[in-house]
Amino acid sequence: MKALQIIKYGEIKDSLAFNEVAKPAVQAKDVLIEVKAAAINPIDKSIILGNLQGFLPIPLPSTSAYDVSGVVVEIGNEVVDFEIGDLVYSRVPQEQMGTIAEYVAVTSDAVSKKPGNISFKEAASIPLAGLTALQSLENAGIKENDKVLIHAGSGGVGSFAIQYAKAKGAYVYTTTSTTNVSWVKELGADRVIDYKTEDYKTIVKDADIVFDTLGNNYTAEAFEVVKKGGIVVSVIGPLDEASAKMFGMADYKLPAELTKLVKEKGAAYKYVFMHPNGAHLGEIKAMIEDDKIKPVIDKVYPFADSIEAFLHLASGRAKGKIVIEIS
Amino acid sequence: MEELINKIKSRLELSSEAEEFLYSISKVKTLPKGEVLIRQGQVVKRTFFVTSGCLRSYCIDKNGREHTLLFAIKNWWISDYIAIHTDELATLTVECLTESNIIEFNAKELDGIHARFPEFESYQRHNLERHVVSLHKRILNQLQLSAPERYDLFLKQYPDIEQYTRNYHIASYLGITQQSLSRIRVEKVKK
Repeated sequence: MKALQIIKYGEIKDSLAFNEVAKPAVQAKDVLIEVKAAAINPIDKSIILGNLQGFLPIPLPSTSAYDVSGVVVEIGNEVVDFEIGDLVYSRVPQEQMGTIAEYVAVTSDAVSKKPGNISFKEAASIPLAGLTALQSLENAGIKENDKVLIHAGSGGVGSFAIQYAKAKGAYVYTTTSTTNVSWVKELGADRVIDYKTEDYKTIVKDADIVFDTLGNNYTAEAFEVVKKGGIVVSVIGPLDEASAKMFGMADYKLPAELTKLVKEKGAAYKYVFMHPNGAHLGEIKAMIEDDKIKPVIDKVYPFADSIEAFLHLASGRAKGKIVIEIS
Repeated sequence: MEELINKIKSRLELSSEAEEFLYSISKVKTLPKGEVLIRQGQVVKRTFFVTSGCLRSYCIDKNGREHTLLFAIKNWWISDYIAIHTDELATLTVECLTESNIIEFNAKELDGIHARFPEFESYQRHNLERHVVSLHKRILNQLQLSAPERYDLFLKQYPDIEQYTRNYHIASYLGITQQSLSRIRVEKVKK
């Protein structure tokens, strides 16, 4: 089968190639998905550039990307929740990475039936960003009437998180640049802050939750706007101690600056590492079918133009998700 | 099963032999919500009479979106009749939207019942005529009525349906977006 593979680490143009590879083997708990659409995320770009070599070592060549939608064409003998012909979507686990291909085998725990009211292309755009937003906001204990600040509202995770938080009844602040203000407002955010003309730190006060999708200074700054007893949840800032333990770093201590802020503010800091989860995708399916969440797609590329899709991702100018139509 | 027998008896003299035959080719089943009875792409051999609950038939287009053909509530028949009458693979999927009681028939055996019991000939023709009328009405309504008018008719046809269905099921039956359906509902409340 044809697959887009990472052949070496480095510049996107030099590091990706279309290869003819074997159809993946189907293990007892796997479903084999005939891929209709795949979507790409910033992490896919970071892997290609080699930025995550120490953290996520992958054998080269490896097929790229994690997000997929398609049709189940084969099932392992221990699979009970799916049948051949089911229309599904998934964020595939690390060890099964490789959705820009004609087929991908995925453990059925990481798969859900796709929402019936959206296309394969739209469904492929959801899993990684959707799971990241859901798991982060649920970890933060989001509830009705919470004041939530979501950074980068026009990004894949941000645009989903706004809609998820609104569906949970929260009051949502979000930051974005001038050109994105109007469409981000349409996603339901209560207060869209144009970071080019406004300082979010003077607008957001006493947030129950700050969802940090930007890292760097934003992680520490979150403690200026979070309320006492609130929570800063990050998918990009420093690991917290619990996550570090999960990665086998028993002696890890939260950076001193953050420890000080946590103490001073009496607010919690949590790092969330998104994990593939079919049941969570099932929850998202219901929310999409009930029109509480809409996919936000920037552009769809044909399979043959997948490398162009990565170059577009690397430009950082996408508004919403970049999707690759496979078949 | 008695409901169906009584329904048939209201239209024709049913001999005990014919009644017995109907029992012999049918199975009464209680199905859970979400059960898929016919799956797009599969061979179709069965047809279903609904005694309670709600089922839906829909097709999935090449983009992966669902389009609802019909909802079957009490006293309705449901299957993929294209597949049954052309011997093609199913173009429709049939699923239970709620726990449902159904009577399942082998479609070919049921279709051939008039060869053995001629009294069924007119009964089956009557059913077919009603089916054609309902299909023609659905097509014409789709062609000439506005979305709010179609929604009103839909509610008359399926008065209790909203307890069983998701909004996107209804929107996809009416051929409108979920946002349009929400707008129509808001307008109705204002009236």
